[in-house]
Amino acid sequence: MISKADFIRIVRDELALPLADKDLDEDLDQVVNWSSMLLVRLVVALEKETGQKVQISGLLTERTLQGIYARAVGA
Amino acid sequence: MTTVDQSPLARLRELGAAGRLTEDHAAVAQLLSQIASGAQGLADLTRAGQILARRDPDEILRRATDSGETVRPVTVAVTGHSTIEPLVAPLTAEFARHGYLLRPSVGEFDAYLRDLQDPSSHLYSRDTELALVVLDPQMIFDELPKPWSVADVEQTVTAKMAQLDRLVGNYVRHAKATLVLNTVPLHRIHTHSLVDLRSRTRLSVAWRSFNTALLGLSEKYARVQVIDLDPLIAEGGPVHDQRMAVYAKVQLGDEVLSRYAREVGHLIRALHGRTKKVLVVDLDNTLWDGILGDDGAEGIAAATTFRGEAFGLFQRTVQQLGSQGVVLAISSKNDREAVLAVLRDHPDMVLRDTDFARINANWEPKDTNLTDIAARLNLGVDSFVFADDSSFETGLVAMSLPSVAVVCLDDEPALHTSKLLADGWFDVLDLTDEDRARGELYRGEAARSDLLAGADSMAEYLRQLGIRVELKLVEQPDVARVAQLTLRTNQFNLTTQRWQQADVTDRINDPDHLVLSIRSADRFGDNGVVGALFARRDDGELHIENMVLSCRVFARGIEDAVMGTLLAYARDSGLRAVHGRYLPTAKNGKVREFYPAQGFDTVAEGAGGELTFRHDLQTIPAIPDHVRITSNFLDRVEGRLA
Repeated sequence: MISKADFIRIVRDELALPLADKDLDEDLDQVVNWSSMLLVRLVVALEKETGQKVQISGLLTERTLQGIYARAVGA
Repeated sequence: MTTVDQSPLARLRELGAAGRLTEDHAAVAQLLSQIASGAQGLADLTRAGQILARRDPDEILRRATDSGETVRPVTVAVTGHSTIEPLVAPLTAEFARHGYLLRPSVGEFDAYLRDLQDPSSHLYSRDTELALVVLDPQMIFDELPKPWSVADVEQTVTAKMAQLDRLVGNYVRHAKATLVLNTVPLHRIHTHSLVDLRSRTRLSVAWRSFNTALLGLSEKYARVQVIDLDPLIAEGGPVHDQRMAVYAKVQLGDEVLSRYAREVGHLIRALHGRTKKVLVVDLDNTLWDGILGDDGAEGIAAATTFRGEAFGLFQRTVQQLGSQGVVLAISSKNDREAVLAVLRDHPDMVLRDTDFARINANWEPKDTNLTDIAARLNLGVDSFVFADDSSFETGLVAMSLPSVAVVCLDDEPALHTSKLLADGWFDVLDLTDEDRARGELYRGEAARSDLLAGADSMAEYLRQLGIRVELKLVEQPDVARVAQLTLRTNQFNLTTQRWQQADVTDRINDPDHLVLSIRSADRFGDNGVVGALFARRDDGELHIENMVLSCRVFARGIEDAVMGTLLAYARDSGLRAVHGRYLPTAKNGKVREFYPAQGFDTVAEGAGGELTFRHDLQTIPAIPDHVRITSNFLDRVEGRLA
């Protein structure tokens, strides 16, 4: 289980996205130039951090980072 | 943000957060070099590259121009069959590490065939210096009927190879850039989609033939390089994450792309002639197991013991590099006599005292020793690689001489070799005879130093040296060496125009050009081709485009003999005048007065310190007495230039 702060750090460091905390709830299109590549990269980084497999297919339709966080870490 | 994590990557992030990445190039390059030698070097460089790639290259160039800093912009066009954006981050970092500013131009998804075909694509753009066509297995599998058989693969790879050969041939005829391709990995999901073992074997055979044919393209076309991915993949890590492949069409994963980017970083160095020339190694716990001063000669090992054998293997690698023209030297904190005794007599040693151009065994700081070795060899420290197991020494050299490439070894000697070879510091496009003989040449240099020390005067020394010079029209076998001289010579390089082999060949084939090689020898041996001269006839006058001479041989009268011969030739051919140019760089200041010393008049001084000269051929300077010069072009080009 990783905290929201860890999640934000991973997004910032692994994807090099300048993320403000409020961006978590924004639609991804508003935040950055989001792509499925960034999503898979994020999942790989989360898996490395937690040692747990994350199901990607369910995340592809999420529209916010908050939603991805909730699903990926099961919060 | 405050952090206790002071890793180089964290410091780079802080520079980024402070908005200082567009101006602090030296600091960035130093951090990148530390990141590269860290435990997670490749992955962390990619992370660093993601941060650096967000900068605006134009903004960086503007700021550099304002502050007078040197950044070398390189435009690289990238195209491929699948998603290739992930290559930009590691490529940005590897280039920045070598002082290059990457200006990437990334093609559209799966546009590689169109980009190769279309002369108006970014691959053909005039600025493009490197064109990376990133190939992956889906370029074949996407074209197969579904379901497919091994016969389909055999047909498709044959057709694809013919198509690539045609497109690449077309590209090299019309574009100036160096084209980079790669071999293509075969995945287990491909082989094991076939259930019969015979078909699997046939698939593997067809696939290897395809890769062999791809590699053959670099034999066929001079400006094509093919990066073999096999050894890069064998270093570890999956070729890709299958989920990246399925969901994001990323067929080559971060790890492979970061290794590929490293190769490309060294390729651009090689293309620019920035190959390192000298390897300076430490001794204790670097070349042998133990500390000579403490353990004595009988207490050190480079064979027979487990650890000793690991050092012996490392010595073999160093020897292997030495056999290909890397000049070897030692910087060690030891007593010189004890070191020499070990190198001469110790039964374990692969490398002997005669393998090294300089042996600096003393108690001075190592940065001082590296500077001393550079001065003795008449080379810049920026052509040095330094390998040492002590983090104190590697840290000192990295800080005090940032242009030296530092290889940080540690207390695991089995890994010394892979650490030394992790970067392609000594990569060249082609190895010449002069390269192979370089170690010998630099050892000859030591003998010349001794003669000079014993001679009464410089004139006496030069007379005893018995210098012979041969001035020859360049023919195909010498093209590689001549191109290399234009690329690698920094000091005696009057206009510092860098030419690839194709550029030299173009000039040889042009009847208005005169391309001469300068070969020299003396009583200590043959120096090989040490220089070149490029001139062009125009309206009854001769224009010297450039002259280069290896720093090993200048100030011995060779340059005077060559110019005297050329001027006499021009006069005898009925030419009216000979023109020369000098373009200043940071390194060629010592040849600023070369033309005036040969009797040329200074005609103009242009912007940036450019000087133009003219010789009216009235008084030709005499050939120095101590040089015997022969030339084969005087009779052979009769009527060609006149």
